[in-house]
Amino acid sequence: MFASWNPTQPEITDLIVRHDPHTLERLPVRKQDVLDVFAEFHNRQAMRALEALSSQDGILNAQEIDRLLVTIHWEMQRLGEEFYHGPRVFAAVSAVVAAIRAQGHLGPLRVVDIGSGIGYTLRWLAARTPLASRGLELVGVDLNSALIREANRLSRAEKLPCRFVHGDAFSPDHSGQIYLSTGVIHHFRGPALVEFLSRHQRPETHAFLHFDFQPSFLAPYGSWFFHILRMRTRVARHDGVLSAVRAHAAETLVQAARSAAPEFASGMYGVKIWNTPLPRVFHTLIGVRRTLLPHLKVHFGRLASRLGELK
Amino acid sequence: MTLLALYLLALLDGLLCGGRVSMGRCALIHKRVYYLRALVSGLLGAQIISTIALIALFAVGVLSPHRAELRADLEAAAGRMMWIFLPYAAAVLGSLALRLIPSTDLRSATSVVALGPLTAVRSPIMITGVVYGIAPSHLPETRLLGLFVLALMLSLEYFLNYFAAKRQVAEIRQLI
Repeated sequence: MFASWNPTQPEITDLIVRHDPHTLERLPVRKQDVLDVFAEFHNRQAMRALEALSSQDGILNAQEIDRLLVTIHWEMQRLGEEFYHGPRVFAAVSAVVAAIRAQGHLGPLRVVDIGSGIGYTLRWLAARTPLASRGLELVGVDLNSALIREANRLSRAEKLPCRFVHGDAFSPDHSGQIYLSTGVIHHFRGPALVEFLSRHQRPETHAFLHFDFQPSFLAPYGSWFFHILRMRTRVARHDGVLSAVRAHAAETLVQAARSAAPEFASGMYGVKIWNTPLPRVFHTLIGVRRTLLPHLKVHFGRLASRLGELK
Repeated sequence: MTLLALYLLALLDGLLCGGRVSMGRCALIHKRVYYLRALVSGLLGAQIISTIALIALFAVGVLSPHRAELRADLEAAAGRMMWIFLPYAAAVLGSLALRLIPSTDLRSATSVVALGPLTAVRSPIMITGVVYGIAPSHLPETRLLGLFVLALMLSLEYFLNYFAAKRQVAEIRQLI
């Protein structure tokens, strides 16, 4: 195995930005500390990418890091576009919303995108679907203020009915009826995954949908090839492949969800292409309140075959 | 006729290069105008290199002591190149045409299994096509012209990418 494909190590972007978990204030990051992490894993690819980043008095230049992150997220949006992520999320979210409505909840619904980055998913939903006009509030939440500023700038530029806030998605101010995320859940490892999923257990929450890479033998190779061709920054090329390696298996996600959020019936959605053995690039951990179960399959319609067992 | 077909293929290549270098550099949702501009700039780039190639062709033609032989040799080389370039162009256009089918899985699959690999082999295909075309040529002028056009074709995406990257860096610097 290549050193940069070791799933026990973090991604570069996990380490080059740090925030105080309580105040959300940006904290300085020592370049050498990050280099030391990857030196331990003999990951020279990560070290080369890091060495190219400028620092002052040993501290990574925050402005340069923000520019890099925005560049990477613009590139990552392309990945979402190529994989038609927007239509996939819309299909699943609209079925969940219809099930919630069918159960009798007619009030406003807030969809919260956790770790929204520059907000591609929500901006796409706001621009291309009638969700907002059907009374859904689309809110993206991220810990990175630069990405949130960019998400709001892009949203304003196209006058989209969605907003993005810097903060904790599970705080009382931002909590929602439906939580979703894209490419976020593999960042939570071990007990942190269980803790993350347990935070969905709030009285107002009806459902969650977490989209992430689906691990397979071929996924790292496919991801490597795709990132070499499509991504332009070293950090994106490194982290993109490592994400595919670090992605959680369906069993891990389902097990964690069922133990951490027992009020929800959880399972996987969209694992195989056309019910063949071919895996989709992304799979989805879905959890819904048990009272929604009878309505859910009906509202997924012809896509119901993509739903795994929810329990 | 063969030279005209090569010219049209060069324009198509420029068009697609323009689109490719623009991807991942604009995060808006509605990007029709952005992509249209990118395609036009790719087309213009291809037109510029085609014009340079045409000037070189005429210059060599004027200076050559055996004009008629050169013309026949060039046409034969261009004809051989078409055996490589036409199937490649057909594969690219066929993959793009598949994306007209309204299936998210099928569209994604074309990206992963067709357009990605076809992009990856663009440079090797160009080198193979030109070398296959000029290798059996009798005249050194044909070979030199072939290599010159190859260098122009390979530089097109590099320059388009270079300018797109400069624009992107400037735009992000304005934001942050």
